[in-house]
Amino acid sequence: MSFHTIVLVKHVPDIEKVRFDVETGRIDRSSAPGEINPFDLNAVEVAVRLKEKLGGMVTALCMGPPQAESSLRDAIARGVDRAVLLTDSRFAGADTLATSYTLASAIRKIGRFNLVVCGEKTVDGDTGQVGPEVAEHLGIPHVAYVCEVREVYDNRLVVVSDMGDKFLVEVMLPALITVTRDVCSPRLPTLRDILRARRSRIEVWDADALSGFIDISRIGLKGSRTNVFRIVIPSEYHRRGVILRGSDSVSKLVEALRMEGLI
Amino acid sequence: MRSSIDRFIVEELSSIVGEENIVFGLDRVESYLLDETPPPIRPEPCRDIVVVKPASTEEVSAILKLASDRMIPVFPRGGGTGLVGGCIPTRSGIVLCLERMNRIEIDIDNMIAEVEAGATLHDLIEAADKADLFFPPHPGDEYAQIGGLIACNAGGARAVRTGVMRNYVRGIEAVLPTGDVLKLGGKLLKNNTGYDIMQLIVGSEGTLAVITKAFIRLYPKLPFSITMVVPFDSRSKALKTVPAIMKSGITPLALEYVERIPVELSASRLGLEWPCRDGEAFLIIILAEQDEDYLYRLCEKLLDICLEFGSFEPIVAERRDEQDRILKIRSEIYTALKPGMVDILDVTVPPASIGLLMDRVEEIARSYGTYLPAYGHAGDGNIHVHIMREEGWDTRIYDDIRDRIYSVALELGGVITGEHGIGFVRKSSLLRFSNPVYIDLIRRIKQIFDPNNILNPDKLLP
Repeated sequence: MSFHTIVLVKHVPDIEKVRFDVETGRIDRSSAPGEINPFDLNAVEVAVRLKEKLGGMVTALCMGPPQAESSLRDAIARGVDRAVLLTDSRFAGADTLATSYTLASAIRKIGRFNLVVCGEKTVDGDTGQVGPEVAEHLGIPHVAYVCEVREVYDNRLVVVSDMGDKFLVEVMLPALITVTRDVCSPRLPTLRDILRARRSRIEVWDADALSGFIDISRIGLKGSRTNVFRIVIPSEYHRRGVILRGSDSVSKLVEALRMEGLI
Repeated sequence: MRSSIDRFIVEELSSIVGEENIVFGLDRVESYLLDETPPPIRPEPCRDIVVVKPASTEEVSAILKLASDRMIPVFPRGGGTGLVGGCIPTRSGIVLCLERMNRIEIDIDNMIAEVEAGATLHDLIEAADKADLFFPPHPGDEYAQIGGLIACNAGGARAVRTGVMRNYVRGIEAVLPTGDVLKLGGKLLKNNTGYDIMQLIVGSEGTLAVITKAFIRLYPKLPFSITMVVPFDSRSKALKTVPAIMKSGITPLALEYVERIPVELSASRLGLEWPCRDGEAFLIIILAEQDEDYLYRLCEKLLDICLEFGSFEPIVAERRDEQDRILKIRSEIYTALKPGMVDILDVTVPPASIGLLMDRVEEIARSYGTYLPAYGHAGDGNIHVHIMREEGWDTRIYDDIRDRIYSVALELGGVITGEHGIGFVRKSSLLRFSNPVYIDLIRRIKQIFDPNNILNPDKLLP
């Protein structure tokens, strides 16, 4: 039986470079290029290693704006065989519930699979919820925070999950796992693979392409149960140094600490 | 032990910069004594100093006037990242720290940064980035200060494409040892007004004047970049590929050469993994362009060249974090080797002769039964050969190896230093490996600028 792994990737801004508009609470997406969520690189690597060990194929699935195509090309360069981009303005504004429902619907359309692999969370959302929610929509078992994939059998998988303490978990396949950064170190693609990936075909699906698998009222902003009232960006604090000299330095220090409300 | 510096001088300096900007006392000056020079060749610093931190060109001028009147040596100090002891105080005197002078103003329309000497390279890169501009060279440690980078005409890995620090300086404000302030150039792209004294001060290693401000040329950003690692099974195959790349019309932002042992040492010290399993010798190639499609067309060409010269499959980092990781490993090789190192050389030869230089270095290593790790800027002919400590060897043997490498570099039409400069540690080599007419001329130039020899004495001039 050929082993089919679906890996979920998200296109996120380079979090070290991206600028925030403190006034509106929005991310200025033009300030930084998009890339695969760093945690998802580990998911891709796990999927590709399974393919190298067991044969079969890897499909990458991404929901995002049209620019997310570049993340899927990166995934192809790293060993993914097929890439599907879910892009439609109707998908926009989705919370984790609507996102996971949309992804699960697309997985149903993709068809037979043995395993779904996700990164433990995304650097922009930071919830860690989408992976397990996808599994719940699909009605398959799931294990989060997998730091080691120990054994893969025809119908079951043995992994180590790091929930503070480590647990050895065996699940029936098909299943979904979310992996931590410790699970493996992602390889760099070869130049040849990058050039090949630039020419590869990315399948682009809109909401209509999922018809028969999806209930339109459950996607995007409309399908979301999370209401965002306000986003507050904490202001940056810089270390301040004061050198106090002279005989009154102790009283000045006490005064400075009192002013800061520290004593 | 008490400092021999006159209490009265310290008071006068305090009146110029304020008491809080003076560091005085043998036990308080420790962090102003050294730079990154390997300890075995580093001069013994003199602790009998007073550290002064001016905030303006006027204050620098007043300090130098005082020093000149009292004949007190002055040692200008930037970030302390030099490798030849250039800022180490070798006599009792003043250490002049420019760190408080760190303002940067960007003129976006003229694409010029007006930078005070104490701003760091990191500050300049950030300021340019915020203005949506780019400072193309990367002349060394990001905590190096602009004054020091200019005074030492720093080079770095991108010189193959961008040139060195000198190529970006369009104007300077400098203070002469007498305290006179000299303004040269400005936000200008052309200036042909007589002798180019500004370029004489650039690279003079703090022996002619103290640079307080500079006008630095900036460029539009190169938004698309990749870092490639090309593995080869031998040094000669890797180095033979370099001229072929350059002749093809591709000018990488950096074209570096590294070998497995030092690069793995550096990676493991950082808790990272070198990304190539194959190969012993590697080229690290950074391409940066305005246009993404053009960048990848260059990649296709580069792949053909590398494979033709016998490389294994090149690997590529496109993401910023993955590119940074490779560069981090490359730039920390020096730190990884430092504990066992006696000297780091930076001989430079015509780029096409780099293979010959490396063959000769290998011969020298064999004849002494030692290992001479070598890596560096293959694209511009500037290679860092490291002389490592060996059990039972004395200074004579290390000097011998160094001089043999220098002789080879000269024989190939090169120089003893391409980027680190002369400082304290290369003075005798400068004398030995330079034309006496040149030495006489630089001595006379020093005499004109600094007749009392108070500015960075014991440096550069043999």
